[in-house]
Amino acid sequence: MVVSAFRRLDRSARLLAPFLISAALVMLAALPVKIPGYGQIAFNVGLMTVFYWAIYRPDLMPAVAAFCLGLWQDILVGSPVGLYALILLLANWAIVSQRTFFQGKSFGVIWFCFALVTLAAAILAWLVVSVLNTSVIDPMPGLFQALLTIGVFPFTAWLLARAQHALIRPIDANA
Amino acid sequence: MNRRAETVAKVAVPLRALVHRFAFLFLILAAFAIMLLGKAETFVVERVRSSVVDVVAPAMDALSQPISTVTEGVDRIGNFFSVYEDNARLREQNARLLEWQNAALALSAENSTFRKMLNYIPERGARFAAARVIGDSGGVFVRSVLINAGSLADIEKGDAVINGDGLIGRVAETGSKSARILLITDLNSRIPVVAEKSRIRAILAGDNSRQAKLSFLPPNARLEPGDRIVTSGHGGVFPAGLPVGRIASVSDGTIRVQGFADFDRLEYVRILTSFPGETAGQIIPSSVRRPAR
Repeated sequence: MVVSAFRRLDRSARLLAPFLISAALVMLAALPVKIPGYGQIAFNVGLMTVFYWAIYRPDLMPAVAAFCLGLWQDILVGSPVGLYALILLLANWAIVSQRTFFQGKSFGVIWFCFALVTLAAAILAWLVVSVLNTSVIDPMPGLFQALLTIGVFPFTAWLLARAQHALIRPIDANA
Repeated sequence: MNRRAETVAKVAVPLRALVHRFAFLFLILAAFAIMLLGKAETFVVERVRSSVVDVVAPAMDALSQPISTVTEGVDRIGNFFSVYEDNARLREQNARLLEWQNAALALSAENSTFRKMLNYIPERGARFAAARVIGDSGGVFVRSVLINAGSLADIEKGDAVINGDGLIGRVAETGSKSARILLITDLNSRIPVVAEKSRIRAILAGDNSRQAKLSFLPPNARLEPGDRIVTSGHGGVFPAGLPVGRIASVSDGTIRVQGFADFDRLEYVRILTSFPGETAGQIIPSSVRRPAR
């Protein structure tokens, strides 16, 4: 009885792992790194994690989780609250709806799709913030952020793949 | 027991499908609603944001320590290589500063004599709180940092934030143990300033670029690169005379100011919690606050 309760707890903790790992990474990315100009183009960690889990384990990154992760990012980073919630939600939806396309595709194709999603997200964010501030803001930092995010994605994906292997593979094997 | 489970399932399954279908739409609407709420009812969103940040602030505080240790270590190695040049530069600077010190001492003595002659009543001193920067990403669209002190340290929304170099910004949101500082380069930052020498007044308006620009200048105002800009104290939110920056460029009507503070390397900041003549954010005409000189 105790063993089964513990096993169930262990299982739910592992199922929550994608969300918790993503939330932790978003917080790490908000810490002060004293590199000139880095703060303005700090890469979009939420987008990377949502993209990864939506492709490899969409069941563990539902729309609500993407939404909450976006709110979390907005609160820590200081962007208008709701902005990244909207963007991560749309990204999650776009990828999950194209799920069949991604099955068995090479990492190069996935990376390319990530680049498209990131650029679209940057344009959307720029539009929304411009409307909220009722003035055209400089699009360049957003573009740099998108390029940096695209460049860092393979590393993040590798990191998340290790996490997936270590935490979620065992319960998949048991099921 | 089994029958009960069945009835639950009968209700729950279609409900679940309905929720699934509309959850996405609902969340989209929620995101827009929150954004509009943040625009219209700033207070509510700020409260929620600052209470969440309050909870995670200790963790971010702890995590940011090793990062600053590493950057300090790297800095120390870099400093080691430039120790000779630095030494020569500092000797020269020291000689110059000693001259200034003499001038300042003479002026201060002169000032106190004048004050005695005028029966001048000294103002109360300003009060400060010190804090460490624990989050500085700010993102693409906002120039802001998080600090590890809040209303428990008497910090209020609107307080001026400075470091050893000059003005950094103002407090935008406060929790009990954390606060968010809006930097002077942020799109929403507007600070009444004055050119130190010419006494020309203007508003320093950030636009998310590295250098804020001066607006609302009087027509044919003559300002040149290198002129020092300080806070004017108009509006009573900031005290007068806080060093802000230097004019970096003047080109077809746009005057840009480079702040004295290095916004990329903020570590410790001071928050001016009260100062003589503070009017708690009230905007009052300058003629009331400052009688004719």
